[in-house]
Amino acid sequence: MNFNGTFTQVIDDLVQRVMPSLVIVRGHRFGAGAGIVWDANGLILTNNHVVGRRNPVVILQDDHEYEARLITRDPDVDLALLSIDATNLTPLLPAPVSPRVGEMVFAFGHPWGQRNTVTRGIVSALVSAQNRRGEKLPVVRSDTPLAPGNSGGPLVNAKGEVVGVNAMIVGGDQSVSIAASVASDFVKKATRNRAQPTPSDVI
Amino acid sequence: MSKNVLVELSEALADAAEKAGKATVLVNARRRMPASGIIYAADLILTADHVVEREQGIKVILPDGSEASGKVAGRDAGSDLAVLKLERVAATVAEATKSPARLGQIALALGRPTPDGIEASLGTVSAIGGPIRTGRGGMLERYIRTDSISYPGFSGGPLVAADGTVLGLNTSGLANGAAVTVPADIAWRIADALVKHGRIKRGYLGIRSQTVEIPEASQKALKRDQATGLLVVGVENDSPASQGGLMVGDILVAVAGATVPHHDELFARLNGEVAGKSAPIDILRGGQPQTLNVLIGEK
Repeated sequence: MNFNGTFTQVIDDLVQRVMPSLVIVRGHRFGAGAGIVWDANGLILTNNHVVGRRNPVVILQDDHEYEARLITRDPDVDLALLSIDATNLTPLLPAPVSPRVGEMVFAFGHPWGQRNTVTRGIVSALVSAQNRRGEKLPVVRSDTPLAPGNSGGPLVNAKGEVVGVNAMIVGGDQSVSIAASVASDFVKKATRNRAQPTPSDVI
Repeated sequence: MSKNVLVELSEALADAAEKAGKATVLVNARRRMPASGIIYAADLILTADHVVEREQGIKVILPDGSEASGKVAGRDAGSDLAVLKLERVAATVAEATKSPARLGQIALALGRPTPDGIEASLGTVSAIGGPIRTGRGGMLERYIRTDSISYPGFSGGPLVAADGTVLGLNTSGLANGAAVTVPADIAWRIADALVKHGRIKRGYLGIRSQTVEIPEASQKALKRDQATGLLVVGVENDSPASQGGLMVGDILVAVAGATVPHHDELFARLNGEVAGKSAPIDILRGGQPQTLNVLIGEK
């Protein structure tokens, strides 16, 4: 097979498609992390540990800064859902099925403050981590290099679907992401309890 | 979304991991964390020798999650390989590659360090080298190095090509803890010998030697270009060498038909089938070629 640049092209397409959904989440005390645009109307998913005590600042790809509202947070799954007053955003979709070991994955984030960085790996293992409540939390382990600043960013598959939320850096070479199914459930639960936004009057 | 080359590659890698994963087992034969193994024949597991720290109570967890006990059928510290015999038949036998590893090709390191499932990391073949002395009294004719991550418990597991065939067996026990891969053809050959004999025979001569230049006149007398040979500087009493007539001052140029310009070649030649057999040894004595027949010992 002659790839003739097509391989580079499809990776570029993937990066162009995912990048608009990557944001910076800046807490007030600690360094910045990453976040994922979860719907077009301003829902941002990130790690709980990225969000400080007060409402964080979310910075979009167009450099617009937003004071974010914290909708909910859960230290046991290390996830937090934020909302910003923005519309027409480009969200990422969670992968409909869990990933396979060996599948290629790409992590988007801002490791060591280096903005909009993409690192590549494969799914190394599908395991569960135990949280403080003793519950088993499905996580995706990968050989993708991650560093502080990747936290809260997406781990996507070759189709650009979210397979995990990058969370913990265990040692040097074992990267852990919270499974997309956990993230989906977390967002569903959070938005169910939320008052539905009332549509504006017909004018 | 339509498929593109990236999606296809990604799926191919997952397919390769799944295929080879069906022949990758967990080997629990040490106190620390378990290691991995390859189903090499229906009831035989090929693994790394250094992860088999006990010969009693060896447990193997098969890809379907079931447990089987195993016994050591043969082991060789020199190549860090061991074969375990299972009490029953395992499901899928690993397929060794027919095309040897090439520099730059992508490869998956697989392991099953936990009962939870297969684990993998991706790399490329970054070096193919050898022969090297393994530091455990052995000699590996060829080895593969990759830049994949060797996670804890990966020793004994396969290095897998993109088509799911096995390129070799990964181990951290041969090169001071660094991960290297024993190529599949060598690993399978040693495994065959281990199944047959339980161990690897190593030939023994009983000499000390050092590399020396062969003068041009002697090379002409030998009728070949061989710049160096092995000067015998010591012969042990009652050794195969002394019984065969080798003397201090002889220069070894070939053993059993293979030239020995350095120690590594002699070492490689003495591995395997020559042990216990009579073999011709070409020497230079006083600058003149001679051939001695030596009954090579076994160690």
